[in-house]
Amino acid sequence: MRSEWQGELLSELGRNLVTGSLTDPELLRQTAGPVQRILPDANVVKIGGQSVIDRGRSAVFPLIDEIVANLPRHQIILGTGAGTRARQAYSVALDLGLPTGVMSVLGTFVSMQNARMLHYLLAKHGIPFIEPVQFPQLPLYLVERRGVIFFGMPPYTYWQENPLVGRIPPHRTDTGSFLVAEVFGARSMIYVKDEDGLYTADPKKDKNAKFIPRITVDELLEMDLQDLVVEGAVLDLMKNSQHRRSIRVINGLVPGNLTRALDGEDVGTLITVD
Amino acid sequence: MKGSHALDGRHHVDSLLMRESLLDKDLVAATDEHGPLVRMLPEARVLKIGGRSIIDRGREALFPLAEALGEALATRTLIIGTGGGVRSRHVFSIGLDLGLPTGVLAQLAIADALGNAHILGTLLASHGVVAIPPEIFGHLLPFFVKGAPGVIFNGDPPYSIWEHPPPVGRIPPHRTDAGSYLTAECFGCKTFTLVKDVDGLYTADPKRDSSASFIREIGVSELRAKHLPSLPFDEILLDLLERSRLMTRFQIINGLKPELLAPALDGEHVGTIVHAG
Repeated sequence: MRSEWQGELLSELGRNLVTGSLTDPELLRQTAGPVQRILPDANVVKIGGQSVIDRGRSAVFPLIDEIVANLPRHQIILGTGAGTRARQAYSVALDLGLPTGVMSVLGTFVSMQNARMLHYLLAKHGIPFIEPVQFPQLPLYLVERRGVIFFGMPPYTYWQENPLVGRIPPHRTDTGSFLVAEVFGARSMIYVKDEDGLYTADPKKDKNAKFIPRITVDELLEMDLQDLVVEGAVLDLMKNSQHRRSIRVINGLVPGNLTRALDGEDVGTLITVD
Repeated sequence: MKGSHALDGRHHVDSLLMRESLLDKDLVAATDEHGPLVRMLPEARVLKIGGRSIIDRGREALFPLAEALGEALATRTLIIGTGGGVRSRHVFSIGLDLGLPTGVLAQLAIADALGNAHILGTLLASHGVVAIPPEIFGHLLPFFVKGAPGVIFNGDPPYSIWEHPPPVGRIPPHRTDAGSYLTAECFGCKTFTLVKDVDGLYTADPKRDSSASFIREIGVSELRAKHLPSLPFDEILLDLLERSRLMTRFQIINGLKPELLAPALDGEHVGTIVHAG
């Protein structure tokens, strides 16, 4: 039944894909090539859960104002982190022995709550909250309203991969936001947290922690830090990414930082592949 | 709420992980020290029916297999994933030609496996076994398998545009073998069986190389060390097996020999077993 396709295929690659093995490295190499930038003007901005949203109005209100002020000049796809309630849910799940995939479902609910809260604060500006199933409408909203908000968790739910170590879902809201930036070929990926960027240790716990303004993924992995400012999965995925070859981490508690990052200024920490 | 916001300006909920960075290595490692994982569906058997290897062959392969599935369903709960087969390969080739990214290819391929789930579902409908829409499949799976002897789903994991860019090329790495395996792992099922059109794993492709020798059982590290030119399953299964907690092995069987199905579902060794480690 396979042969009838042969004449219909566009190219040698098409023939090889239909008849060959997708585990053949030679065939996989043939599938490389230039990739469209689907939304080249969009900026993906992830708002931290524990670091920003859990602080309430003191952190969130100024940030909302700054986001709105930037919309005339920048298209923004906002993702949200989960934060302390996810940690509570994960703690209960660990105690009960629930699998990583179930923990992923629980984390999704929390980042969805955070997206809904930010959505209501942005509603009067016409910014919609979209769930994964509504992503086909995202380009329209970006053109019409300049912004859109989604929950940062990738929708892996029960299909979340186990981590190599431990039980906490390895692909959380940093990863989900990064993959949106990557697949759409977005202009930037900005992580809004409550630290100035990357440090040699957790600055909340270690006063000797040194700030790192710019670093490559390989340098960062080589340092083998005890703690990281973004999920390790983001660093792994960056190495394979077609478009999103850098990410920026900024302190959203400092007014003006997000504007500077959107304008492409050097603020916070820039992590690059190349 | 004891976890006050006076401490660091963040409103916390008291918990084990409160105020912690989930990226801290010690903290992450400590989460392994909790009790055994819950097995949600310990009696269910998960299997993946190959798209190109079985379903695309049509009647000659699928009718005898559907009959064997029907017999197996009489005494077992089956969760059946399907591959997308040749239509997925075709849509990949068009998508690649148009310069579409990996995530879009992953999203497109879901439709092919879902079509095949409905094809198989038509053949098994008389057993009450049908294709379940992916939107409700995960959350309602335990409910469905209490009411029916089995379910069919598109084997894809719901990664869609959130698919990971692969190290080489642009083909989505998490395809239907991976999605079906992850179902078995997360739900703590009894066995995971890949139903293909070869007896199992060979040192070379037996369709092209008559000197290929059969591998009856092998661990992930040993298999990686062999650097086989191609594998009869999605390569990412090896990564997933390395990280397994509940489903630490899978078996590849030849679906053109339907008599192997029932023993494989029960864990008997009738094909190639690949195990963690």
